[in-house]
This record gives sequence, structure tokens and C-alpha cells, in this order.
Amino acid sequence: MTAESPETLSEYDYTAGSYVGQDRPRGAGPPAGGHPLRAEVNGYLLGFAIAILLTIASFWMARTDLVYGPALAVGLLVLAVAQMGVHLVFFLHITTDPDNANNVLALAFGLLMVCLVVFGSIWVMTHLNQNMTQQSMDELMRMQG
Amino acid sequence: MLGKLTWQAIPFNEPIPLISGFGVYAIVLAILVWVWRKGYLPYLWREWITSVDHKRIGVMYCLLGLVMLLRGFIDAMMMRAQQAMAFHGNGYLPASHFDQIFSAHGTIMIFFVAMPLVIGLMNFAVPLQLGVRDVAFPTLNSVSFWLTAVGALLVNLSLVVGEFSRTGWLPFPPLSELRYSPGVGIDYYCWAIQLSGIGTLITGINFVTTILKMRAPGMGYMRMPVFCWTALASSLVIVAVFPILTATLAMLLLDRYLDFHFFTDTAGGNSMMFMNLIWAWGHPEVYILVLPAFGVYSEVVATFSGKPLFGYRSMVIATMAICIVSMTVWLHHFFTMGAGPEVNAVFGIASMIIGVPTGVKVFNWMFTMYGGRVRFTTPILWSIGFMVSFVIGGLTGVLLAVPAADFQLHNSEFLVAHFHNTIIPGVVFGLFAGYTYWFPKAFGFVLDERLGKWAFWLWVVGFWVAWGPGYVAGLEGMTRRLQHYDNPAWHPWMLLSAVGVLIILAGIAAQVAQLVVSIRTRAARSDVTGDPWDGRTLEWATSSPPPAFNFARLANVTSREAYWDMKQQARTTEQPVAPDVDYEPIEMPRNTPTGFVTAALASVTGFALIWHIWWLVILGLIGAYATFVVFAWRDRTEFVIPAAEVARLDRANRTARAEYIEEPA
Amino acid sequence: MSTEILRAPLDPAGLPHEAALAGAPPRVTGHGAGGPAPKRIVVGYGFWVFLLSDVIMFSSFFAAYAVLFKNTAGGPSARELYDLHNTALETALLLTSTLTCGLASIAVGQRNLKWTQIALACTGVLGVAFLTLEVREFASFVARGAGPSRSAFLSSFFTLVGCHGVHVTAGVLWLGTMMAQFYAKGFRTDIRHRFLCFTLFWHALDIIWVAIFSLVYLVGTLPPELLP
Repeated sequence: MTAESPETLSEYDYTAGSYVGQDRPRGAGPPAGGHPLRAEVNGYLLGFAIAILLTIASFWMARTDLVYGPALAVGLLVLAVAQMGVHLVFFLHITTDPDNANNVLALAFGLLMVCLVVFGSIWVMTHLNQNMTQQSMDELMRMQG
Repeated sequence: MLGKLTWQAIPFNEPIPLISGFGVYAIVLAILVWVWRKGYLPYLWREWITSVDHKRIGVMYCLLGLVMLLRGFIDAMMMRAQQAMAFHGNGYLPASHFDQIFSAHGTIMIFFVAMPLVIGLMNFAVPLQLGVRDVAFPTLNSVSFWLTAVGALLVNLSLVVGEFSRTGWLPFPPLSELRYSPGVGIDYYCWAIQLSGIGTLITGINFVTTILKMRAPGMGYMRMPVFCWTALASSLVIVAVFPILTATLAMLLLDRYLDFHFFTDTAGGNSMMFMNLIWAWGHPEVYILVLPAFGVYSEVVATFSGKPLFGYRSMVIATMAICIVSMTVWLHHFFTMGAGPEVNAVFGIASMIIGVPTGVKVFNWMFTMYGGRVRFTTPILWSIGFMVSFVIGGLTGVLLAVPAADFQLHNSEFLVAHFHNTIIPGVVFGLFAGYTYWFPKAFGFVLDERLGKWAFWLWVVGFWVAWGPGYVAGLEGMTRRLQHYDNPAWHPWMLLSAVGVLIILAGIAAQVAQLVVSIRTRAARSDVTGDPWDGRTLEWATSSPPPAFNFARLANVTSREAYWDMKQQARTTEQPVAPDVDYEPIEMPRNTPTGFVTAALASVTGFALIWHIWWLVILGLIGAYATFVVFAWRDRTEFVIPAAEVARLDRANRTARAEYIEEPA
Repeated sequence: MSTEILRAPLDPAGLPHEAALAGAPPRVTGHGAGGPAPKRIVVGYGFWVFLLSDVIMFSSFFAAYAVLFKNTAGGPSARELYDLHNTALETALLLTSTLTCGLASIAVGQRNLKWTQIALACTGVLGVAFLTLEVREFASFVARGAGPSRSAFLSSFFTLVGCHGVHVTAGVLWLGTMMAQFYAKGFRTDIRHRFLCFTLFWHALDIIWVAIFSLVYLVGTLPPELLP
């Protein structure tokens, strides 16, 4: 065999559109009940529509009186997480397919890290700041002259 | 035109860095000239510098780490000498110089000795143990190595052009801010770490992908060697925490370069936030280092006990538990900074919990040896030395995890003794064990055993003579990083410590001698079969050194110790060699200068950033983009090894093995 | 089980033939059943892991922003500075660009060069429009004396939102390169793999923007008594 392009030597044919992890062996047809063009386009349009709704909801919630005040920040967080989920499912195709398990696990690990870094830092720094009294702040500033 | 760079940057009035710096450059130049005159340059370029082969890259990483070990160790000797002498006196090192030395020592040892050696061993052994041909992204692997070398280059350049940072191995603000450190030292540090950090992150991604997505047929998760599990855990931690380091140093650099106020003491900056974020990286970093070392011990102990590893399942669970819990303990590095009892208690308890999985591992290693026929070779000596010494270091760690105790011992010599007690017997001994264990696989001949044993004993004794006194001095109130002191209680301990470091020096000399002697007598100690230790995992199933494609055909794995079971079957059925089989051509990735070019551009850009040579920075960034595009535009990314060549290499190895199998087990 | 057929001959070096695995199930994910996963899965997974690491980097900047939010050093605060109309426009632009990017990946799946280039061009234009609005916002802050050197809060704002902007800029450069590669070399496998990575990147940038517009802009403009 000569040095042909990688296309001919590899065993699998990757013609399945935008999905990560959708492959089939060379020569096989599309999977049964596969992803025809219309279904793929509709998937993106649906995700887009839901994302717009969630965005509008967020902007509306920020300036409305209808939501209990102190819950606003949490509500905005919830809406943001929901919209991120929509993006993940409709645009990044993170599904519960067993072949997708590694992707979901990696995502879970990433989420854990984000929570540890963000909430851990806020928790630690709030306590540190509380214990930095105004008097010790003043001493600190005086020492720097 | 040249930013802040002037002739003043060269330390003409400081003899020690001047002479040592120019001495090193003279040696490097001499080596380069020798290589050029001997005509090795084309070979080196073709086979090593542009290589994307994980085995070659692994060897280069280890070489970088070992060379930088010498530099870091010289710094250590200088510090020990200073502290032995500077009782009621000023020693021989001025304070500004001493500060740079302890900063450089820590930076080099963590980032440019331990990390490259760990990554080098992972690079070399993981694809072989998984039974595959290379890692997931071979070219990125090359880029990673060369970016790490860039960081090492910049740190060493600071010896002669400019200065290094004086803030320790982590640049705490406000001291590291521009107002209090206006020189280029912190910038050298930050850019060296940022550039090599990109390389390390890419390595983490590479290995997570390789271990999870590329294994020999039949090798499910619970059939992977334990070294691969620890490499996976370590790589996951790299992916999780190196971005935090990148972000935090970026914030410090923004403060210094663009007058931002993240950590300054004016305009609302909060220095403690740096501490918080940097230790959120810094603690998991030490687990990045120690987990693969634990993996090496698992392999070595099982092989030289002649028994499968005891408690495989609990080893895997312990490894992944350490991976997760290591990200929840970081505040124990600043218990004394005023977070209050609730916060301190939570992190203190987490820091104690993390000792449990390590304890599980130690018991598993001991039970592996128990009932086995232990062959006391050099690798297993390193492992036993580790088990005895590291446990003590771990116990002092659990002691320090109690906030009340830590309030007494924070930043004392006790702490310094603790972390050397965990890093040296933990990480370094593991790296030496792995180096000795896999050296025959990489080069085709075994290292000298006698000198190896000498090296081990000198290191172990030297380590305790050097660091035992540290514990005592710490308990007697000595703090770390002292350029001089007046307390007579500490002086004898510092003297003893200096003696210890000289014993370690003898150990290092033994290791250098071991390498030289082994190379000289390599014909007599060559490894013809590829299996010098009667190994149990797949890397011993191929020749030493392995061919570029690792395995002529991918193994079919049906059990946990794939290669051992194949050997046992061959022995019991007395059928050493099967009839000839079909060979197929094999596709391998092409070598490419991308890694080297990227690194060259990164070095220039890093240097330009440090010295504020802005036009050169812009050129460097344009060059980086151009390199990506040129690499992306390649048409031929792979080359084919013809079936006949595969057959020739494989048959030679099988003939040698047939003779070996025929010998009684 | 198919491993019976594939049992190794009794030779430690006689490792069985790869082609014998031709009967293996088509979905090879690399978890041991059929050997190493196909290149597309490997590339996609590796890039996904990289994206997660990038998200963790952003979370460090988010953490700094959250901690330093109140440190305005007597200077302007979020409520005084943020223009939510601008933010809404930026959000619309980026979200639409995510849609066009998705349509581009469908076009690549269909091997249709014309629609690929059109969709990518739209994505690029929307991305550049987003960046223009963001640069204008930053410039207006600096002109009002609310640049990053004014206070820790502003440093963290400029860094967080600016880092996202730098990523979008890099994405636009990458997009241009992809358009050039499709034009010059067609739908070759390795170019499609690279494009897969690009789409993952572009979608992830919008995910991060969702966090930014919600937690930075919208939360930032809440009345002070309602801040967490």
C-alpha cells in the first residue's frame, strides 16, 4: 500500500452531520431512524426558540416586581443554568446515550470543579473579609506608608 | 527599541551568578559544537526534535527533568551551606540573592523536575501498557514537551539576564505586585509558568482522551494496569486545576502590566484572593505529582513480588477518591490567615480524610509483597524506602491538618521537612524506581544494579540526615527561608542538615556513575527479549526498545494481567511460538517541527513580554498564528510502514522470546 | 462472546490480527470492546475536555468577579455602568450566531459547500458585530473614568468579559481559517474533524455568555439590597 490519504485507510466513515460520536462502518447506510436533514434543522431551530424564551424571561425577571426580591438572583441563576442545558442538549448533543457516557461524566466533573472554585472561593473569602476588621485594615494601610 | 533590556541586566557585579551562568552556557555551547562536528544534528532533528512518538517524547521529558534536578540540587546545596554558616553571621549569600535561590529552587523542582519526570514516565509507559500505538494527539504531545522546555529555558536565562523572583515558589501579593517588586524577576517566573502550563494542560487533555478512548481490544476499565489508572487520575486533576493557575497568574500579570487591581493593596484589591486561588491549584498539584508515583510503586511491587497486585478494585477506588478529595482541601495552606473556626474545621477534616485512601494503598502494597517471592532489585528498594519514609511524612501532614497545631507550625522548618518528606520519598523515589524499571524498555539495556543500590542507600540515609533535623528545628521555633539567625538551638540541626545534603550529593553522583557505566558496558547488559524483569503488563510484550508502532498487532486482552496470562499459557501448554501470522501495513503519524517552532516562538515572545519589547511580542503572536495555519494546511499527516518491515521487526523479537520462554520459569 | 473467536494463539508475541475484529459492533467507543475508538470520537472527546478546562478557567475569573464585586474604591458601580439594552443586543447577536453555526455544521454533514460558506459567513458577521458592541462598551467605560485601573471591581469586570471577547476574537480567526480550508481542500476528513472542534468551541462561547449576561449584567444591575 502506498501513502494514501487518511480517508481511504480508516475503517469508519464519518458522515453523520454534526453529532459527536455518531459513526458507522464504511459502506453501511444511515442508522435506522437516523437523522435526516429536516430533523436536524428542526432540532437547532427548537433549541434556538427555547433559548430566546429563556433569555427574554431573564431580562424580564430582572426588572419585574412580580418575583420575590431576594429570590431574584437565584432565579436568574436557575434560568441561566436552564439555558445552558438547552445549549448542551440541542447544540452540543449531550444525550443520555450510553456511548455518550464519557461526555456526560466529563461534564459532571467540570461542573463539580466550577462549583468548588466559585462557591468555595466566595465562602472562604467572605469569612476572610469578615474577620478583617476596619481597625486591622487601617493598621495595614498605615504600615504601607 | 529593546524595552527595559539594557546592559545592566547582566550581573557583572555579582560573581556567583555571573560565573555559574557563563559556565553553564559554555558547557551547553561545547555540547552543541560537539554534536554539530560529529554530524549528529540531522539525526537529532529527524529522530528526536521533530518526533511525535510518545516514547521519544517521554525520554526527552525525563532528560529535561534529570538535568534540571542538577540545577535545583545546586540551589539546595547553596541554601544548606548558607544556613549552616549564617549563625550570628551573614553567611556568604546576600539576602537578595538568597531569596532568588530559594524561589528558583522550589520553582525548578516542582515545575521543571517533578512535572517533566512524571509526565515523561506517563508518556513512555501509558500507551505501551494500554497496548496501543501512540497517544490521542501526538503532535500536541510534542508541543507540550517543547513548551515545558521553554519554561525551563526562561528560568535559567534569568540567572544571567536580569534576575529571578524573590517571593518564593508562589509569588504572593502584595510583595509580588509591581509596587514592591518592580524588577523583572516575577515576570520571568510568571511567563515561564504560563507557557509551560499550557503544555501541561495539553498533556492532561491528551492522556485523559488516550486512557478513556484508546485501549487494546478487550481492555475494559477494570483490566487496565494501575499505573494507567493513576495516570488517568493525575491527568484529570491537571485538566481540572491548571486553568485556575493560568487565570490566577494572568490576574497577577494584569496587575503588573496594565495597572489592574486584583491583588493590589490599593483601589479595592484583595491579596487573599490570590492565596485562595493559587492554593486551589497548588494543593491538587502535589497530587498530580504523587499519583503517578503511586502507580509506579504498584507496578514495581507486583512485578518484583511475583504476585498480582493485592486489592486491585480498592486501589482504583482509592485513586479516584484521592483525585476528587484533593480538590477540597486547599485552605489548609492558609489556616492562619483568619478564615475562622468553621471554615478551618471543614478543611481540616477534609485534609485528614484524604490520608485514608493513601493508607489503603500502602496496605495493598504490603499485602502484595506478603506471600510473594520478593526479588530485591533497585526498583523495589526505592519502593520499600518510599513506604517507610513517606508514611512518616504523611503522618506529619495529618498532624498539620489540625488547625490548632498548624497555628504553631505554619511556615516553620517543620512544614518544610513535611513537604520534603512527602515529595522526596513519595514522588522522587517513585520517579527513580520508574526510571530504573523502564530504562531497559526504552534503551535496550539494563542499568547497573550495584551502583543503583548505592544510590538508593545514599539517598535514603542522606534524606533523613538532611530533613530529620528540619522537624526538630521547626518544633524549636525555626521559621522557613531564613538567610541568617541567632538562635543557638537551631545551629546544630542546620549543620547536620548540610551533612545530609552532601550524602544525597553522593547518591546523585552514584546515579550519574550508574548511567555512564551502564552505557559503557551496554553490550554486556542488553535486553534481547524485551522482558528483563519477568513483567506482567503489556509493555513487556514488545521488544526493547519497541518499534515505532509499538505492537505488530494490537493485543486481544482477556484478563487483568494481559501479558502475564499470555506467558503462563505459553509455559503451561509448552507452545512457545505460534505458526507465522499475517502482517498488515501500519499507519503512523508523521514527525513535524511544529512543536519546536512553537516553542522557539514562545521563547522569543516570553522574553519580549518580560522585557517589555512590544514589537517583538506582536511578531511572536503573529508567528504563533502562522504556525497553526501552516500545520493545519498539511496534506500528508501520516506515513505507512510496509507489512514486510513490520514482519521483519516482529520476527526478530519472537525468535529471541522463544528461547526465553523455553527456559524454566 | 466474540472474544472466543479472537482468543490469542499460545504465543505471547502472537498477538491476534486487527482485521479479525471486522465482526466487531460498529459503535466502537474505545472502552475495550473493539479497540481504540475512531478518530472522530477521539478528536471530539479531546476537544470537549479542553472546553471544560476552559470553562474552569472562566470560573476562576467569575470567582474573582464575585469576590471583588463590591470593591468599587469609591468609583462607579455595576448599577451605574451597565447598559442592559446593549447587553440584550449582544445576546441576540451571539445566540443567532450559534444557530447559524449549527446550520453550517448541518451543511457540512450534507457536503454542501455553498450553504456551508454562507452559514459560516453569517456566523462570522454576527460575531464581529458582537465584538464591535463590546469594544464600544469598554471604550465608553474608559472614557467615563471607569477603566480597569479604577477599582478592583472594574478590573475583574474587564478581565472576565474581556477574556470572553478574546475567545470570540480567536473564534472569528478560526472561522475564517475554516472557510479558507473548506474552499481550498473540500470536505476532507481531518478538516471536518477540525470543524467539529470549531462548532463545539463556538457553542461553548455562547454558553459562557449566558452565564455572563445573567450573572454579571442582570444580577449586577439589581438594587443593592437584593444582591446575594
